[in-house]
Amino acid sequence: MMKIHAIIKTACLATSLVLFPACEDWLEIEPKDRFSDTTVWGSEDNADMFLNDIYNQFPHLNNETQNLDQYSDNSYVGAEWMNARTTIYTAALSPTSWIPGPWDMWKWGREGNSDAKGQYERIRSCNLFINKVTESGFSDSYKKERLAEARFLRAWFYHYLWMAYGGVPIITEVLDNNVDDDIFYPRETAQKTFEFITRELGEIKDDLPLRRSSSELGRATKGAALTLKGWVELFHASELRNPDKDKSRWAMAAATLKEVIDLGIYRLQPTILDLWTEATNNNDEVIYDFQMSKQNGGRREGLFGPVFVKGVQASWGNMQPTQELVDDYCMANGLPITDPASGYNPDRPYENREKRFYQSILYDGSIWQGEEIITRVGVGSPNEIDTSSSSDVTNTGYYTRKTLDESVNGADNLQMSNGMANYIFFRYADVLLMYAEAVLEAGDKNTAIDYLNMVRTRGDNMPSIEDTYPAGITENQLRDVIRRDRRIELAFEDKRFWDIIRWKICDGPDGVMNRPVGGMKIEDTDGDGVWEYNYHEVCQRTFLPRMYYQPIPQYVLDKNAVIRSQNGGEDGWVNGQNPGY
Amino acid sequence: MNRIISRFALLSLMGLLPCQVRANHSALPDEVQVQNSFSIGKNITVKGTVVDKNNEPIIGANIIVRGNAGNGAITDLNGNFTLTVPSDAVLTVSFIGYGSKEVPVAGKKTLHVVLEEDSELLDEVVVVAYGTQKKISSTAAVSSMKTKDVAQKPVINISNSLAGRMAGVIAKQGSGEPGADGADLRIRGVATLGNQSPLVIVDGVPRDFSRIDPNMIEDITILKDAAAVAPYGMAGANGVVLVTTKKGKNGAPVLSYNGYVGFQNPTRITDQVNSYEYALMKNEAAMNAGYPNYYAYSQHDLEMYRKTCEGAADADRDLYPNSNGLRDLIQGNSVITNHNLQLSGGSEKFQYYVSLGYSYQEGMWSTTDYQRFNLLTNLSVDATKYTKVSLGLSGWHEKKNYPGAESGDIMYQAYRTPPVSAIQYSNSLWGQYVGKSLFGLAYHSGYREEPADQLNTTLSIEQKLPFIEGLSLKGVINYDPYRKKNKKYFTPIPVYTLDASQDPYQYMEGFQGPEKPNLEQSFEESVSMTYQGIINYARTFGKHTVTGLGVVEARERNVWNMSAKRLNYGINVDEINAGSSNPADMGNGGTSWKERQVGYAFRLGYNYDNRYMAEVSGRYDGHYYFAPGKRFGFFPAVSLGWNLGEEAFMKNVEWMDKLKLRLSYGESGNLAGGSYQYMSDYGFGTAGNIGGVPVMGMWENLQGNPNITWEKAKKFDVGVEFSILNGMFSLEADYFYEKRSNMLMAPNALVPAEYGITLSQVNAGSMHNQGIDLSLNFNKKINKDWLVGVKGTFTFARNILDEVFETDATYNNPNRRRTGRPDGTMFGYHALGYFTYDDFNPDGSLKAGIATQPWGQVYPGDLRYEDLSGPDGVPDGKIDEHDQTVIGFSNWAPEIVFGLAPTLQWKNFDLNALFQGATRTSISLGETLVMPFFDSGSATKLQFKDHWTPENQDARYPRLTSEVTVNNHRQGSSWWVRDATYIRLKSLEIGYTLPRKALDFIGLSSLRVYASGQNLWTWTPFIKELVDPEAKSANGKYYMQQAVYAFGLNITF
Repeated sequence: MMKIHAIIKTACLATSLVLFPACEDWLEIEPKDRFSDTTVWGSEDNADMFLNDIYNQFPHLNNETQNLDQYSDNSYVGAEWMNARTTIYTAALSPTSWIPGPWDMWKWGREGNSDAKGQYERIRSCNLFINKVTESGFSDSYKKERLAEARFLRAWFYHYLWMAYGGVPIITEVLDNNVDDDIFYPRETAQKTFEFITRELGEIKDDLPLRRSSSELGRATKGAALTLKGWVELFHASELRNPDKDKSRWAMAAATLKEVIDLGIYRLQPTILDLWTEATNNNDEVIYDFQMSKQNGGRREGLFGPVFVKGVQASWGNMQPTQELVDDYCMANGLPITDPASGYNPDRPYENREKRFYQSILYDGSIWQGEEIITRVGVGSPNEIDTSSSSDVTNTGYYTRKTLDESVNGADNLQMSNGMANYIFFRYADVLLMYAEAVLEAGDKNTAIDYLNMVRTRGDNMPSIEDTYPAGITENQLRDVIRRDRRIELAFEDKRFWDIIRWKICDGPDGVMNRPVGGMKIEDTDGDGVWEYNYHEVCQRTFLPRMYYQPIPQYVLDKNAVIRSQNGGEDGWVNGQNPGY
Repeated sequence: MNRIISRFALLSLMGLLPCQVRANHSALPDEVQVQNSFSIGKNITVKGTVVDKNNEPIIGANIIVRGNAGNGAITDLNGNFTLTVPSDAVLTVSFIGYGSKEVPVAGKKTLHVVLEEDSELLDEVVVVAYGTQKKISSTAAVSSMKTKDVAQKPVINISNSLAGRMAGVIAKQGSGEPGADGADLRIRGVATLGNQSPLVIVDGVPRDFSRIDPNMIEDITILKDAAAVAPYGMAGANGVVLVTTKKGKNGAPVLSYNGYVGFQNPTRITDQVNSYEYALMKNEAAMNAGYPNYYAYSQHDLEMYRKTCEGAADADRDLYPNSNGLRDLIQGNSVITNHNLQLSGGSEKFQYYVSLGYSYQEGMWSTTDYQRFNLLTNLSVDATKYTKVSLGLSGWHEKKNYPGAESGDIMYQAYRTPPVSAIQYSNSLWGQYVGKSLFGLAYHSGYREEPADQLNTTLSIEQKLPFIEGLSLKGVINYDPYRKKNKKYFTPIPVYTLDASQDPYQYMEGFQGPEKPNLEQSFEESVSMTYQGIINYARTFGKHTVTGLGVVEARERNVWNMSAKRLNYGINVDEINAGSSNPADMGNGGTSWKERQVGYAFRLGYNYDNRYMAEVSGRYDGHYYFAPGKRFGFFPAVSLGWNLGEEAFMKNVEWMDKLKLRLSYGESGNLAGGSYQYMSDYGFGTAGNIGGVPVMGMWENLQGNPNITWEKAKKFDVGVEFSILNGMFSLEADYFYEKRSNMLMAPNALVPAEYGITLSQVNAGSMHNQGIDLSLNFNKKINKDWLVGVKGTFTFARNILDEVFETDATYNNPNRRRTGRPDGTMFGYHALGYFTYDDFNPDGSLKAGIATQPWGQVYPGDLRYEDLSGPDGVPDGKIDEHDQTVIGFSNWAPEIVFGLAPTLQWKNFDLNALFQGATRTSISLGETLVMPFFDSGSATKLQFKDHWTPENQDARYPRLTSEVTVNNHRQGSSWWVRDATYIRLKSLEIGYTLPRKALDFIGLSSLRVYASGQNLWTWTPFIKELVDPEAKSANGKYYMQQAVYAFGLNITF
């Protein structure tokens, strides 16, 4: 056969002399829609483009139909097919029906060849950047700052995996099966993974600038790295990961968060309404955000706003505040509605509430874009509470106001992704509340009250703790207040899910995710002209203890025998899987 | 002659005929004069009759004087002709379907010519790679189809006419959308996981055939075995479709017209519930979800919906509507039409064929339609005694018009909108559901226009070399430019919402979609150039015939595109420069690339006395897809044939016309994956925002595989052809076996999920595919009035994956193992039926011994799956992926397909039909078709009638529920898989040819009227859900296949 090949090849070459250029050369075509290694790592500018793409993979949720508050007890979602309803509320989470989280937040890696990227794709990109830039002859200043950014990004991606799954394989190399068979890594313990993330952030924090110039906004800063570190430490200190209640963990978190505060560059805005508009982007309260542009903007108003505005559908209404959230807003006097002294009137539930209530929730009778939102039954309103879930209209009787820009038309926004408010990952109020929580748990109640007050009283929202509780407040009471304020202050900012997970308050008889979703049905059943405010059970929910950890997707186990062989240990794995699945 | 002229005059009045043709014919008498003056013999007037062997006159037969094609005539309705010719002239008499005959005049004034029908056996020619062969001496497995059989069928896209008509062809039409309704073709099933489509060659060059007017196609041939496909090298392994367009023939001009007008309706429409039924179902679901005291719809609501559904006089249609998305959306009897005019003729030295076609197809909604103009010109001239020059010029212009919304979105909305949501109010304004209006999407969403032009040019020069008998050289240049434009103008969709708090009701106008119009335009141009140098040799030495073919072929394609868009049109002018002048509202893009391949093909044949045949063929082929050193491959094939029927010992067997055996073996290749997978490379584009503005980004595309190359196919074929009783019955049958190795596969099963990058494919897989295909023919002329015939085809092909990458999890579980099973096998849970009350303890937990299911709490009436295995291979009391097993056949490649085409002629009536079917294939139904309220959607009548209730535990569908257990039901399981066996009346045609007297009166050579239908009836014994068995998307949300009734005319002038 070789001989025939040789003859044919000779004939080919002979003919091609006459008819074509040499065969091989003629088939050599340089593609114009891709680059080679040498181009990408050939200059600092080009390498920057590689890093740009990693930044672009940040899981901002300005453009996602599903968000983390849907997974929690803050918001209900009308669409039956969304993960919250099919998988979370029904406790249907399993290794074969896992969910990737909004924007694939804790998607592991690729299952097949064509599905979406997971965190390990992003981690590989960081590893490749770190590897190539370290090897390169780029300037020291470039290397210092950009390598710190890449390590910040890598830690960021790892922290989602760690929060969702506990311990995960820690890969800092660029895997290549052509040169190395050692591509199968075991899971590290949750503790080791925690240590990796916080060590990395600690090592790079001082290589990052304190502030960014306007053309560099969106890149990592020292404050961003420290806040992430503090948040991870807080998570690590909380009930779920700290069953022994080791106070030193809280102290560690408090120290890091104090570092953020001591940077001295962050300030609270006058009210929470001053945070999610184009005009207030990049204000002093923001620690880390994802930048929007007109070409790549957000769709929050179309996805999460009130469904009918001026008689027509403007939104999908995917963020429907629950009655449980609404009930957690205090009265204007600072007392919770459950306090007999609060003055709460169940027949007029929306009167005399704290300011954040009116800044956050659209309820029956509130005004949005100049129009009254009516959810009560029987007056022919298109926003009448949808008890059969046969439309996008609210199932709870509420819509979201906070994080939305009232000047943006929802229907247009849905189509055009033209929302210009940046997506805020970390802001100063969050840091203050985290700090208050950490110092309280570490044993310093008075400092906790001081920092809590800063958030609680901002913009004349409520009186201070001292004024509300002149007789003093117990540690347990204060813990409840901090948690409630955290829920209210950060509602619809995708924090609540992680909070109820780390506090471990989802399951059991009192579990916040183990009870029905509530809504408010306002009706006049007896026809006496007086509106009755009746609690309405929207949907049942079940939360099983195993669900504090996401199941390792079955394909991950199927493809990695090393993980499959991991059993027991401090995290109690069964064949590499988290317990209970 | 007067009649001919008057006919042309008539046509020219109609503006249908190019003027040069008219000019030629008005000059006809002069040419006759010229001829006469040069003739040696004395001119005489000859009267003649042309008949067939049953002494039936042949109408429209061509008579020309040999050596002077300008002098000729056509027989009239009685088969008579009159011609003034030199007394020593020789007349060539011909007619389609009959052997032509040379008749010396020899001074006679009357001639009686008997034409013999073509002996299909000895003279039948088959099209093969780079040429033609006599069927009798061919050693390759091919099937072919004359398109005269299908040109009158109301099918715009010819790819939909192959199913059932050709053995070995598996065709599946996934969609009925005008302009996007082509069938996916598979030759002899599936033998690879990569690209499975056959190579399509039109007039010698790779081209798209789906847009050619079927009237312009002479022949479609399928090359099936190695002997047939080897000259196509690394492009041939999936089989080859060879399309040959019509060429001119010697003879007087023949002008003919074929056209039809038809009406389309979906083959099947899902029967949706009415609003009363929907409300009842919703209430039942609410109760099942755990709200026994709470119903979604009150008694009053129910009563009001019932009134609307019953059409009561006091019904409130606007507040309590009764919509039906599919019924309301689909306009019945949408138009389809095709018109074709063709002219052909020629002399010995010059032949021409010219044809024009026009097609129009309307959509299920009036904003969708498709228009196409076709042109074909084939000219050939004998420039010298040894030189023949041919020019082929063909092309099409098409225009697709769609609404701004995609058909999938429209159909989705039609399935989704529940009947309780008004699609259209009583005042005819359109309503909305989940912010979208069905009518708005279909009629008010702007437009998408996709005009495209294709030109195919072929210039060939064939030079005989007189010094070597039988040797000729041919050079061919093909220049095929193509351009496509795309214009999308999206406008705000007005939608209306009822404000029932007002009296009378108010209808609030709002907008769905962008607040202001947006425009996107793109332009793509590609130019394909193909250069072929061909050397041909054919010579007979006594009983030995030797043939040889050599081909050098190079091909290059250059593609170039660009796009632009603007947002926020303040003025409603749909031009790119009329949009917003804000730079942030503008965008553009574009790229270009080049593709090249080069190959050297050959074929050498030897034939002894038409009894023993042997052939070798092959190709040395190179392609730019691969790395240097990996680009060229050699693909040889060898084949043998034995015509037993020609052997001396068979000569006495009178009833046996033909008996032939064939055998072939060879290698072929397949370009299974994409280009440049040998490189590790980076992509680039816009990547998010830094500093509030979009920035460029780069990313790793994939990890390259420097060794990647083509797939290798080893093909074996043995075939038998026989024909008996003067062609009354004939059969051709083949057994084939193919082993595909080097199969491209994504090796992602070999690396952990943490690996972090897509790997290029590797040539590591193998599979085999075997089966039989056969076609049989029966034709019988019972008497003068009756002719009956049947043509049948049957294909069975089953593939097995021999080596594929799979994880331990599937490989080590015999139920789940992919290796050793056919590609496309469906896996999932085996549903045992429903949980019953007996399965539960009083506290609602499952009784001991019943496997638990992880997708939420289950209740009686929920699907129960079988516990087949656990991680250790034994049932473990837990349903998880280890319990998956085979639940169905491949959906897209049925193992068995067949067709049966009876024909009948009685006097002037003719009838033909095609029944076509498939079996050993499955369909997995999903979403709204089987799951009520899916995506907050509607439900079907079948679901309403037959779902689980305590009284109906033997139901088709599980208990109704809006929550809690939907995830349990939605697991891929045998419960949703249906046997997709079907038989359909693919086409039916009844024609009537006008008798001679009538034709005489209106002055035409031939006139036939016909009624024709497509997809008229479909039988699916196992699919009760009203969905087409060929449905592309098994959730019903796609553009439905259409049934067509048409009425047409064939005229020969």
